[in-house]
Amino acid sequence: MVLKDVLSTNRGKAFMLCNEAIARGAIEADVKVVAFYPGAPTSEILDTFSEALGSFDYQMQIATNEKVALEICAGASFAGFRSLTAMKSVGMNVASDTLFVLGYTGVRGGMVVVMADDPHAHSSQSEQDGRFFAPNSYIPMLEPSTAQEAKDMVKEAFSISERHRVPVIVRTVTRVNHQSGVVELEEIRRSGFARAKWRDLKEAYLTLGEIARRKKLMMIERRGRLEEEFEGSGFNFILGETAGAGTGIVTSSVSYLYVLEALKELGLAGKVPVLKLGATYPVPKRLVSRFLKGLESVIVVEELSPYLENEVTIIAKEESPEVRIIGKRSGHFSEAWELNPDLVAKGIASAMGMAYDDKSRISEEAKALREGIPERYPTFCPGCPHRGTFVALNQALRALSAGGKGYYFANDIGCYSMWVFPPISKADSSLCMGASVGIANGLSNVVEERVLAVVGDSTFYHAALPAVLNAIHNKNRFTLLVLDNSVTAMTGQQPNPSTEFTAGWREGRRVPIEDVCRAAGADFVEVIDAYQVKENVPVLRRALEHDGLAIVVSRRECALYGDRRKRRRGEKITPFYVDKSVCRRPYACIRDVYCPAHEIDEEGQPRISPDLCDGCSVCSRGCAFGSIKRAESWGEKR
Amino acid sequence: MGREAMSFDIFICGVGGQGLVLLTNVLGRACLKSGLKAITGEMYGLSQRSGSVSVHMRIGGDAYSPLIPTGGADALVALEAIEALRHIEFLKKGGLALVNKRVIHPPVETAQLIRDRNRKYFGLDEVVSRIRKWTERVAVIDAFGIAREAGNPNVENAVFLGCLSALKGLPLDPDKVKESIAEAVPKGTVEQNLKAFEAGMAKASEALCRHGVCRG
Repeated sequence: MVLKDVLSTNRGKAFMLCNEAIARGAIEADVKVVAFYPGAPTSEILDTFSEALGSFDYQMQIATNEKVALEICAGASFAGFRSLTAMKSVGMNVASDTLFVLGYTGVRGGMVVVMADDPHAHSSQSEQDGRFFAPNSYIPMLEPSTAQEAKDMVKEAFSISERHRVPVIVRTVTRVNHQSGVVELEEIRRSGFARAKWRDLKEAYLTLGEIARRKKLMMIERRGRLEEEFEGSGFNFILGETAGAGTGIVTSSVSYLYVLEALKELGLAGKVPVLKLGATYPVPKRLVSRFLKGLESVIVVEELSPYLENEVTIIAKEESPEVRIIGKRSGHFSEAWELNPDLVAKGIASAMGMAYDDKSRISEEAKALREGIPERYPTFCPGCPHRGTFVALNQALRALSAGGKGYYFANDIGCYSMWVFPPISKADSSLCMGASVGIANGLSNVVEERVLAVVGDSTFYHAALPAVLNAIHNKNRFTLLVLDNSVTAMTGQQPNPSTEFTAGWREGRRVPIEDVCRAAGADFVEVIDAYQVKENVPVLRRALEHDGLAIVVSRRECALYGDRRKRRRGEKITPFYVDKSVCRRPYACIRDVYCPAHEIDEEGQPRISPDLCDGCSVCSRGCAFGSIKRAESWGEKR
Repeated sequence: MGREAMSFDIFICGVGGQGLVLLTNVLGRACLKSGLKAITGEMYGLSQRSGSVSVHMRIGGDAYSPLIPTGGADALVALEAIEALRHIEFLKKGGLALVNKRVIHPPVETAQLIRDRNRKYFGLDEVVSRIRKWTERVAVIDAFGIAREAGNPNVENAVFLGCLSALKGLPLDPDKVKESIAEAVPKGTVEQNLKAFEAGMAKASEALCRHGVCRG
């Protein structure tokens, strides 16, 4: 990220990642409070705010989970401050308990919730379609296609929120968040921060029983007013002429860009009218109805579920029942996986009865050329503490199996999720944040085998803690391994309660996991150093055999975070090397450790790439011949 | 349609940690300086380091989608050789392939080698001979070597910025790319990056000029 583009208070243009543009838009809109829990593909929004903190007068918290983040923003908004949070699709599942109520209570200061879905599950456990949160909670929703539009929509969302006293969802998808483009910067004029006086603002943000029933009627009315406003929104527009066109397209989000690309490729640019919807809840019925008038068929192009297709079908039934609707139900597009320009061109061509070369020949040829190339699965970075923990854990589990006592391995969400990929491929389940501990609470009482649950530090605070307390209270018996690498590593090493820093590298208070567990009454709590492989095996074995809840915290900071801190302190990384004169090639360094820095050279000798090695020492600790040595003598430091 | 309106599409791929995001940012800045539209689709993958990463970079007025259509890229930039093959279908048949000589073997491949001692690594020669079945216009660049010579093994990305700037099809003035490098890279590394850029430009010209695709 080039921070000065976000910080420049002047007008101009910048080439920006959409997530940076979202942050810039909120800063231009004078946002006063931001709070996040990181999650791909939104993490760079958090990172941008964290980097820019100190340059502007907003407050920022990196929250323990998305629900807390949303509540921080709601609190600020109740007191009249503009607030913004951003979360990934599945983060909204956690936050939605509060979101639904905010639909009832309403807010005061403009409140924007960026929710990023992940069609194709690039970096998520599911392809869930979050658009349905909007109608279900009666909360309006905008959907940008580009970085520029995302910035414009975030700014407008604050105004919509204040006009209608309701949070506004800005819903993105991975291909929007991780899209860069040229963005127009407007002036930044900040109003300064001063505490509000609640006694002057005082009003009730509550709902229950009779109050909820009354507020429900208000929500329905509000939806009508929002729909009326969106009829004239500049975010909804028609490209081209519907009269005499025969076929038209309704689309939104990144699919709009694929439609433009496909129409160009098919030679249909300007010939097929396109209704681009940017405000997608409530859907402006009159606008859609006007678009449908006179068309013979309409193609709805959207990713995942037929959300717009449903809306268009309902509107058509009342206003233009003769129009043919083409989309998911007609089989032209799939509900599975993300779209791309080729799939959209294929669907449009097929709907319009045009010949189309679907490029399968090119894909087949490419596939033949890829034959036999090695997969590059997501893996642990060189120096990753999870590698060291795994080496010891694997030995302890082998001993358990050798004793005839199998185990159940409940994995979770974090870098350690990658244990499910080859060559390790070790996990019986992996669901969502913190679920491993909940699952262990259930399974440990119904199977014969020992149950092992794994969570990270960030996951521990995020969602596992209630399940840990449940285990202590109910005297459930399983092993909990907490991989504490000091940061929320997978999303880019953001701080969490295990970190001594918080947003903007400001000082934070560490909440040691072992203290939390002991204070709650857990009697088997051990802390190990992830790199101390040999010493950790007996601890893990005891934990796996303990008749009760056994908690082991494996601690060592994330290698990337550690490297960054070393650079700040001016420390060098000293890689390891294989002393060929000592190595007898048992290959334990490779077989047990699976590090990207390890290779086999032409003579079949293990070799450590000095450019990749992080100097963690884990492989050297497993070598029976002591042939892996620190390259102190060569001075090969980075 | 005027030439300005046609997009120049580059598919960039490599391994996490090789600086694809910075490379993309530099090209985007150069587009901005040149008054050109640019749009990208960036895929970072799950792992921070050592995983497969890729960027669709599209320059020009008629580039709408953040993703390049299959077989649509004018140039393929592979900061790691095997990744070139993994993503070859995005390159136009006969398009320009700028491929790093560097092969980074994933741990899963090394693990297979110790299980089956007769097995060999998937090597650079095999990669290049297969790419040649797709296009004759291939430049194999020792970017890692050049970067080290420039004094910083992390500036492989700048080598490829130089390679791209050698192409007359790239609608960007090399000076604008250099200015953008100076703005975007960490302060202390500008000189190393520019050195790597110049060497990359020279190497790509050497490798590709016979195809008539280079500047000047």
